[in-house]
Amino acid sequence: MGEHKAVILCVDDEQNPLTLRKLVLQKAGYEVLTANSGKEALELAASRHVDLVLSDHLMPGMHGTELAQQLKAEHPKLPVILISGVNELPVGSAIANAFVSKSEGPDALCKEVATILNLPLETFEN
Amino acid sequence: MVDDQPGKLLSYEAILGPLHENLFKANSGREALEYLLKVDIAVVLMDVSMPDIDGFQLADMIREHPRFQTTAIIFISAVHLSDLDRIKGYERGAVDYISVPVIPELLRAKVTVFAELYRKTQQLERLNRELEHRVAERTEELRESESQFRSLANSIPQLAWMTQPDGSIFWYNQRWYDYTGTTFDDVKGWGWKIVHHPDYLDAATRKFRHCLSTGEPWEDTFPLRGKDGNYRWFLSRALPIHDVNGKIVRWFGTNTDITDRKLAEEALIKSERLAAMGRLAGIIAHEINNPLEAISNAFYLLRDHPSLDEEARYYSKLAEEELARVAHITKQTLSFYRESQRAIPIALAEVLDNVIELQSRNLHVNSVALEKRFQTQGKIQGYPGELKQVFLNIIGNAVQAMPNGGRLRVGLRESSARKNGRRGVRVTVCDTGVGIRREHAKRLFEPFFSTKEAKGTGLGLWISRGIIQKYEGTIRFRSIALAGRKATCFSVFIPTAAATEPTEISALVA
Repeated sequence: MGEHKAVILCVDDEQNPLTLRKLVLQKAGYEVLTANSGKEALELAASRHVDLVLSDHLMPGMHGTELAQQLKAEHPKLPVILISGVNELPVGSAIANAFVSKSEGPDALCKEVATILNLPLETFEN
Repeated sequence: MVDDQPGKLLSYEAILGPLHENLFKANSGREALEYLLKVDIAVVLMDVSMPDIDGFQLADMIREHPRFQTTAIIFISAVHLSDLDRIKGYERGAVDYISVPVIPELLRAKVTVFAELYRKTQQLERLNRELEHRVAERTEELRESESQFRSLANSIPQLAWMTQPDGSIFWYNQRWYDYTGTTFDDVKGWGWKIVHHPDYLDAATRKFRHCLSTGEPWEDTFPLRGKDGNYRWFLSRALPIHDVNGKIVRWFGTNTDITDRKLAEEALIKSERLAAMGRLAGIIAHEINNPLEAISNAFYLLRDHPSLDEEARYYSKLAEEELARVAHITKQTLSFYRESQRAIPIALAEVLDNVIELQSRNLHVNSVALEKRFQTQGKIQGYPGELKQVFLNIIGNAVQAMPNGGRLRVGLRESSARKNGRRGVRVTVCDTGVGIRREHAKRLFEPFFSTKEAKGTGLGLWISRGIIQKYEGTIRFRSIALAGRKATCFSVFIPTAAATEPTEISALVA
């Protein structure tokens, strides 16, 4: 009640994965905004308060690493986590705060998010 | 002209003058002989009866010299000679007789005949000498040219040979003998069949015979056996050699060793195939991961969902577990994965202890004794997850190789790279299991190659090697069988000195 939930901006061009990722993060206790592309994500980050950006890497148009670069340029203190189906670190991904593989599963993802946000993991029962 | 009477000599001179030949006058046999030795005399005109020496005797003396055996001698005789005397004279090498009184035309005629004969003989001899000289020259040229040819034929790297028009070989170059270890007698004619690979012999012979009959150049590829008993591949060619009339007089052929080229081609095809396999594996992994994550997230949401009863929650839990296995497969076995962005300091001793702990149940079940020899902590910069994967793979293989007991030895020590002496740490894993067969050894690190029958993806060692290569390290193994006992040892070397941060490279290149 009145406790500030961290706001996570989730970016992915595929709808189902995006929806499910949002629901998982909400279950873990975060407020979640979504965007379908890098462009949309940049617009949202500029207009709303965001505590962390979680973005897919391979997207049409702007890749996750490119988005990370632009975000860092415009919002240097905003942490960015890249998530991807590729198992190797993409080139240029070092600009992000962390890289998570999709094969790691939801528990590992939530742990990484909590670590980056420096918040303990919380779950709320709705 | 030989006569003891000068007057006669003058008369002969007068008679023979018109012939415009060189005339020499000798008063005695001795003088005659002197002239003969000094000058090339064509005809000797001789008085049969001379005081100091008999004409016949003189003729004998002349004929004694091999040089004058065919010199024409005409006897002038005052005395009537019977046929018997003439025959005696002919026997002595006389050529003709003239009676006194000498008829000038007769004398001239006879001398002319013999002079001409002499000239013709000289000419013939000269021509003969010239011919012989030319033949000697040509023979020398030929010998020189043949010697050059043989030098050339023996210096080229190919095997070479020559055949008669019917295809029967009459000459091989030295390389042929060096390679095949045969002698000429072994392989002359059609004897080369003995070093020809039996599977290719019929086709090659047929092709060769066809070209022999049509005269078209021959080309074929087949194996030939070397003196060590092994076969190597040769590209063979032969060209016909024609004479001035266009008829084929022989075939000149070569065999070029293309074994290395063939092996290189095969290796290239193989490595391309492996690279393609690797790329495919990576693509599959990536494509699977996307929906995999979505499904895993859905099951996460189903956990403890209030709308589910206990049974449904149980099913959900089972499904989630199986899905985790799928994730494990794509993560661990279809490609390489690094769980964090930066390498961290790791103690390999800890990683190995961790892996041994994970394998403790299997060690117990297989009755495998464990021997640990850690001489160092093995501190390196790296990614613990993937290193654990490598040693889990190698130690796991070792334990599986000893289903009926044995000994597992795990060693860790400081060492240097065999190739360049670079400092680093070496992990050795030895088992006393079934060993690795020679024909498998070559393929052990290939993707999708497995000796475990149905178990295993066959990717473990391929991935392990790929991971170690990212550390600029090496994985090697040796399988030995001595006195009925077998042992297999894997040795993993990871450099520490001058080790740049392990760089990210495309994991999908074998």
